[in-house]
Amino acid sequence: MNDATTAAVVSKPKPTVEGHVPGSTLHRHNPLPREIAPDVYWLGECLEQRYKGVIYHSYNAAFLVIGNDASLLVETGHPKDFPHIERQLAQLLEGRAPLKYLFITHQETPHSGGLGRIMSRYPESVLCGDISDYHLVIPQYADRIRSMQRDEVIDLGGRGFQAVEPVIRDLRTSWWGFETRDRVLFPGDGFAYSHYHQDGHCGLFAEEAISLNLPDVSSTFADLALFWTKFADMERYVERLEWLLKKLDVKTIAPTHGLPIKDMDGTVKKVAEGLIWASKAPEAGIL
Amino acid sequence: MLDQVARSNVVTLAEDKLYVLQNVLELDGRISAYPAAARGYAMSNLYLLKQPDAAVLIDTGYAAHEPVIRAQLQSLLPQGTPLSLFPLRLNEFMSINNIETLAARFNIEQCYTGNPDAAWWFDFGAVSDAGGSVLDKMKVTVVSRDEALPVGKLGDRIIDVFQAPVRLISTRWMYDRETKTLITSDMFTHVWRNKPEGPWFVSEADDPSSFQHVRSFLLNTRYWWIEGASTTPLRKAVNKVFETYDIETLAPGYGAIFRGRDQVEKQFKIFDEVLASLDKSLHTSRYVDRDEER
Repeated sequence: MNDATTAAVVSKPKPTVEGHVPGSTLHRHNPLPREIAPDVYWLGECLEQRYKGVIYHSYNAAFLVIGNDASLLVETGHPKDFPHIERQLAQLLEGRAPLKYLFITHQETPHSGGLGRIMSRYPESVLCGDISDYHLVIPQYADRIRSMQRDEVIDLGGRGFQAVEPVIRDLRTSWWGFETRDRVLFPGDGFAYSHYHQDGHCGLFAEEAISLNLPDVSSTFADLALFWTKFADMERYVERLEWLLKKLDVKTIAPTHGLPIKDMDGTVKKVAEGLIWASKAPEAGIL
Repeated sequence: MLDQVARSNVVTLAEDKLYVLQNVLELDGRISAYPAAARGYAMSNLYLLKQPDAAVLIDTGYAAHEPVIRAQLQSLLPQGTPLSLFPLRLNEFMSINNIETLAARFNIEQCYTGNPDAAWWFDFGAVSDAGGSVLDKMKVTVVSRDEALPVGKLGDRIIDVFQAPVRLISTRWMYDRETKTLITSDMFTHVWRNKPEGPWFVSEADDPSSFQHVRSFLLNTRYWWIEGASTTPLRKAVNKVFETYDIETLAPGYGAIFRGRDQVEKQFKIFDEVLASLDKSLHTSRYVDRDEER
């Protein structure tokens, strides 16, 4: 192991584009929020990550599900996205069912960074799902945390939200979410891939991002962020994924890191190809 | 607060050189780093490397422990001491939850991370909604996957920082040459106790480590995917760490600490045996359900 003592010092980029929201890393208009199914909204903003001289764009998205009686937020976003999500929530919830539930797929901070501030802004809201660690992270709201078991459903009025099996995951405490009326799956770290900012992919469905090489970006993300997928037999996980999609009759996939998916055959197959390919290629390392 | 203080501790690992700041974690099924069925107590361990002119804090702990951690640091550091922060996992609250609050209250010299834009990751609004302004002023020093760093400016104390050889998410391990301590983040965290008092150092008389215990711990926590994996490259990487460094203390981010060459050797040996036993040559890799206990 080397003896170099020349760690690089960097300063945080300072966005300067007119109209740009403070705290953003994206130097252009934010295309979100976007409705991806009836009253299901995609929130947040891209995250640029510099790696080996290349800037990768991906999402750490949140999703708002609005019911007749209550609304639910899936994920609370990357810490840097809170100003965006706060503004998007205020805009979308005006005159609609109040935000009563927060559901976070797992405890990693890109999924849960805005948790404390959202609970502060929405004092009616209750955090639901796997509850591990949160009493240590937001001790001031420890009485607003509710455990959900597998397949348990929250009634939002006219639609439900279910905790379902997390097929592709990292922390053992993960759950995926499923909206029961329009059949939207929220798979957290599943279907994770970057997109091409320069080709205008930000804010698009995967099927609209024509030039996006899904097998390539899926395998790259797995290589950089999902170390375990380099060692496990991913064909077994892809089989289970296909089983779950059929069992739930999923119509839309709303991944936290990738672009939303409408084509359950073509697009899912391409992402699966990337996962399987990455599992068979040598590990390149992590961010 | 009094209860928190009673359940916290600062333990000297090497006088004026290395301390562990401990806070009790109650295992009641709500700690993600431990098996869902584990009951008893573990520790959240933050390590403070101290030099006459500066210090480095490894991980920053959970928000619930922040007042105690602050008091622990104040008891060890003269006011104004330049303090560097080094979170070993960029994505986990245990590592980064208190960066913002510590940045507001201590003389933070820099934050070491593998991500040049890491300051974006630490703003949980703990100081205020303008917390970003505290983080804007914090210097971020990017560390590669394998690097030697000085502690302080005297140049006589070096720590080696490298990718964890077995990991779930992006994780660094660290070796302190001065005290011969290997800091292992979420690995070697398998010793918990029935009482919050511990003991929090492992001795031969009270070491629950065994092949079966470690195997079960790994498979029921964040290493659920290892059974049937190709573990040969993982074993090689772990053994390289053991052979490269002269380790006298094994210092995990959670649970009890292992001291002495014999204990260190024993833990590496068990870990290697477990990895070998889980290799794909002996098990078929299969889909593992979230709640499967092994």
